[in-house]
Amino acid sequence: MSVAARETALVTARRTNRYRAQRWAADGLTYLGLAAALVFFLGPFFWIVTTSLKGNEDYFSFPPAWIPSSPSLAHYGRLFTRSSGLRYFGNSLLVSTLSMLAALVVSLPTAYSIARWRFGGGLLSTVLLVLRMLPAIALIIPVYLMYKTLGLTNSYLGLIIIYTVVYIPFAVWLLVGFLRDFPVEIEEAALIDGCSRLGALLRVVVPIIAPGLAVVALFAFIATWNEFLFAVVLTGIETKTMMVLVTSFTSGGTDMFYGEASASVVLGVLPAFLVAFLLQRYLVKGLALGGTKG
Amino acid sequence: MRVSALALKRKQWEPFAFASPSLVLISLVIVFPLAYAFYLSLQNFDLSTGPDYQFVGVQNYTEAVLRDGRFWGSVWNTAVIIGPALVLELLLGLGIALLLNRPSRARPILTALLAIPPMISPVMAAMAWRMMFGVKYGAINNLGLQLGLIDVYFDWFATRFLSILAVVLVDVWHNTSFMMLVLLAGLQSIPQELYDAAKADGASAWKSFWWITLPLLKFTIAVAVMIRMIDLTKLFGLIFVLTFGGPGGTTETLAFNTYLVGFNDFRMSYASALSYLIILIVLVLTLVFLHLSRTRETRAAA
Repeated sequence: MSVAARETALVTARRTNRYRAQRWAADGLTYLGLAAALVFFLGPFFWIVTTSLKGNEDYFSFPPAWIPSSPSLAHYGRLFTRSSGLRYFGNSLLVSTLSMLAALVVSLPTAYSIARWRFGGGLLSTVLLVLRMLPAIALIIPVYLMYKTLGLTNSYLGLIIIYTVVYIPFAVWLLVGFLRDFPVEIEEAALIDGCSRLGALLRVVVPIIAPGLAVVALFAFIATWNEFLFAVVLTGIETKTMMVLVTSFTSGGTDMFYGEASASVVLGVLPAFLVAFLLQRYLVKGLALGGTKG
Repeated sequence: MRVSALALKRKQWEPFAFASPSLVLISLVIVFPLAYAFYLSLQNFDLSTGPDYQFVGVQNYTEAVLRDGRFWGSVWNTAVIIGPALVLELLLGLGIALLLNRPSRARPILTALLAIPPMISPVMAAMAWRMMFGVKYGAINNLGLQLGLIDVYFDWFATRFLSILAVVLVDVWHNTSFMMLVLLAGLQSIPQELYDAAKADGASAWKSFWWITLPLLKFTIAVAVMIRMIDLTKLFGLIFVLTFGGPGGTTETLAFNTYLVGFNDFRMSYASALSYLIILIVLVLTLVFLHLSRTRETRAAA
């Protein structure tokens, strides 16, 4: 082998080595960065869950007990009994489930009308989007006064009505997308066979776009579950939701009642965990237009 | 002549009938209350003095805009929170999106895990952090003491500066992942060939980022920033739990100030006027957002 050839081989080898080292360094830094992000974004959840399982002795210990020494569900028990947590958890479930169903039932035909017949033209879509962006604070004063006159404050019905209607614009917007992807030919076949429009929608379209409906339903559920302003103004002692319950623990100042407070946070974020994993593919779409906000 | 089954079956009233349940409900529960609020904003309805009220014209609006220091304070506080929160969320979100965009088998699981914070309610996020900021039992003071970073139990809400810092931090924690998700989707729509071509031409990673990634991501960034800006303008739940506007009203935001005027002072008319000012701000931001997202769509289609 000539000297020149040996030289070239050496240079190539060195270059590959350098390239490899660079890639390892880049990969290493990438995973380091992502690990730091995971710690920052999930650390608080870890701390809240462990805090809710700690006994009182762990709160006072120094160095701090990051892992509960004798984990117990005692704080959850106290939250359910002493603070009526079970009732408020049930309220949240009830209100969110019914609002979710109502929003779906009302929005589907509207979305169908927009997707199939271009009902309202571009104007209706724009109006729906503007309504979607409307701040809740703009509605709460008139709605509160109306509800007081109608006797709807401190009632499940009142909360369900406002949650359902406020969610319609987003549900319609998302459903229109799913319906546009649905092939018209299948519907045409049903119509030729003598199906009515409503019949075709319910018996042909709904079963096929069921996954899309589930996506909208889950977003509606989480948005209603998370809503706070309407809940804090319109509910009373019997109809409070989890979001209102959790704020009641702040009255103890910066060192509040940690056990029950952390247990209520764990219960309050539970649905979000489930939905985040179920809806992975749709998160961008849903979050973009405030799908998780009531 | 062949007539399509759809046309044959078409009845004039059907589109309207299908849409009407939503339209009726929206009219009754959103449009009517909005009109009622506008009517109220022109009266002097104050529940703390009594149920009677009179027409006062635009007096509530002129009072808010010309004389109400607390309202302008809330405008300023909102701006002071929005600025740093947006910058940090954009930079962090873009950084994490770029890291996740590198090919990796762990991407789906990492994305799903990082996406959890924006799914939870602002109230829950604020509550978790309020406990972490807790003086004696909070994670932050305890960790700081254990590592020797601080030597006293620190009160993280003692001053205006610290409180705003805390609000910004919690909002960054809560919403950076939203920014990350939108930007990651934008990054993945950029064709790989562009990077391959740049690499063949000897462009460095930084040059590819500056001349390919950023220009193609420009509108996605603008749209994401607008969405966050609209959301932050309505900031309420986080403030309610984390600081309740304190210390001394220095973290009262637009929405929180309006809530206090309405449900602490019971000045219904004045609160309605304030809420209309918020509507105005949000409407302007929404129109900018609509314009940007349409520009982005036409660019993408072209």
